[in-house]
Amino acid sequence: MTNYEIDNILINFGFASKEEKKEILRSNSQKKVFMDLTCYDPNEFYNEFPQLKGTFAALFCDDRKKIELHLKEKNELFLQQLTRLEFHPVETSIVSCGFIFPRTIVQIINEAYFALEEKVASKEDINRAMKFGVNYPLGPFDWAQGKEKLVVTLLDELLLKTNDQRYRCCSLLRNDFF
Amino acid sequence: MNLQRIVVIGAGTMGSGIAQWFAQQMCYVELVDNSEDQLKRSVQSIHSSWDKLVEKGKLTSCQVGQMKQFLSTCTLEKANPKSDLVIEAIIEDLEIKKTLFKKLDSLFDKKTILSSNTSSFPITLLSEAVSDERKPNFIGLHFFNPATIMLLVEVIKGLRTDATLCESLYQWFELKGKKPALCKDSPGFIVNRVARNFYGEPLRIVDNDDEQKFKEVDTILKEVGGFKMGPFELMDLIGIDINYSVTHSVWEAFNQEPRFAPHHLQKLMVDSKRFGRKSKKGFYPYD
Repeated sequence: MTNYEIDNILINFGFASKEEKKEILRSNSQKKVFMDLTCYDPNEFYNEFPQLKGTFAALFCDDRKKIELHLKEKNELFLQQLTRLEFHPVETSIVSCGFIFPRTIVQIINEAYFALEEKVASKEDINRAMKFGVNYPLGPFDWAQGKEKLVVTLLDELLLKTNDQRYRCCSLLRNDFF
Repeated sequence: MNLQRIVVIGAGTMGSGIAQWFAQQMCYVELVDNSEDQLKRSVQSIHSSWDKLVEKGKLTSCQVGQMKQFLSTCTLEKANPKSDLVIEAIIEDLEIKKTLFKKLDSLFDKKTILSSNTSSFPITLLSEAVSDERKPNFIGLHFFNPATIMLLVEVIKGLRTDATLCESLYQWFELKGKKPALCKDSPGFIVNRVARNFYGEPLRIVDNDDEQKFKEVDTILKEVGGFKMGPFELMDLIGIDINYSVTHSVWEAFNQEPRFAPHHLQKLMVDSKRFGRKSKKGFYPYD
């Protein structure tokens, strides 16, 4: 995790457990906080911490550094800092657990792992099929590379929030994480 | 492996695209359809596509002249019985396909490879229509639309398909510039299975009929995710009815596994005849 403090605002980047994220908010109750909550539900945090003024999802972003951003309160200092760090925020009004892109991509990755576990095809052929059959910019395993922990965390969070078995994490993916 | 004589059955969008691609590889292609008019339309459309490629400087008129020589049409009975490969690309109806394969089995040499471009039926199930002798030479070859542009071919091994045949076809397609993917005979194969969540998850994020939110989700997945089209505009282009039908069939094939469950909005759209671009109203209006 990385924190940036400018005047009365705090920007929190990076991955941490839900409790660690909440602890940062508790210890910065007098500040305006903007936080990366890629793997969690921003609504849960907004409800509990009025000092949280905006959330974003940067953990799955690629070299283009485009990130999803939800703002409860517009803040020029925060936006300037994102620009300084070469992020390109795309604002949305939708507040959803796992935002939009991370939530969609972890489900695609999870299904690719289920297909691999059932020996439907090799990793290489699954990547290739999605890139050349439906023009995905990357194959599911390319997307997952080095981000298995994030994928598993978000799937577990979605399952916890919805109690819907569609978010059950494939055991092969969980093994890759561990 | 050397594929030179190809028969493509079905002159609809997929069959025409497949026939065009094989003719571009300088294979002799016989295109077959029940409808003479459909065959004429298909050949005209393929010729016109080639002529445009000449205008754009992507092909020479000499190349196109040759390609046109490689493409012909005929009735099923008059197709070359010694062809190397037959590709079925007709309507997605199990009984009609099985009847056709039974006939193909009797018409073509036992060395001829019989294949299906099906996206929804198990290859092993289709192969029940052919003799035991043919089964090792029965395979799934799933092309993607437009077949001349999309590089993927799913090479599907049925339970009785000869593994060597799969490998040989994989290599042949690779040599010809396609990007083949070898897969097991499993519902949805690779793409129609793994891609389900590209539609299912955004539907659950929005959860109701809200055009502004469809637009936001499409924008995020294009801008942030790098996808060429957003899920809602893509469903409108494919046809919401077709997308729903694929989702439903994969869900059923996996014994109603929750990961593939259709979303209630998909059914509502289909019931209210909001099929997408073709009905001028889907997730977006097209007036």
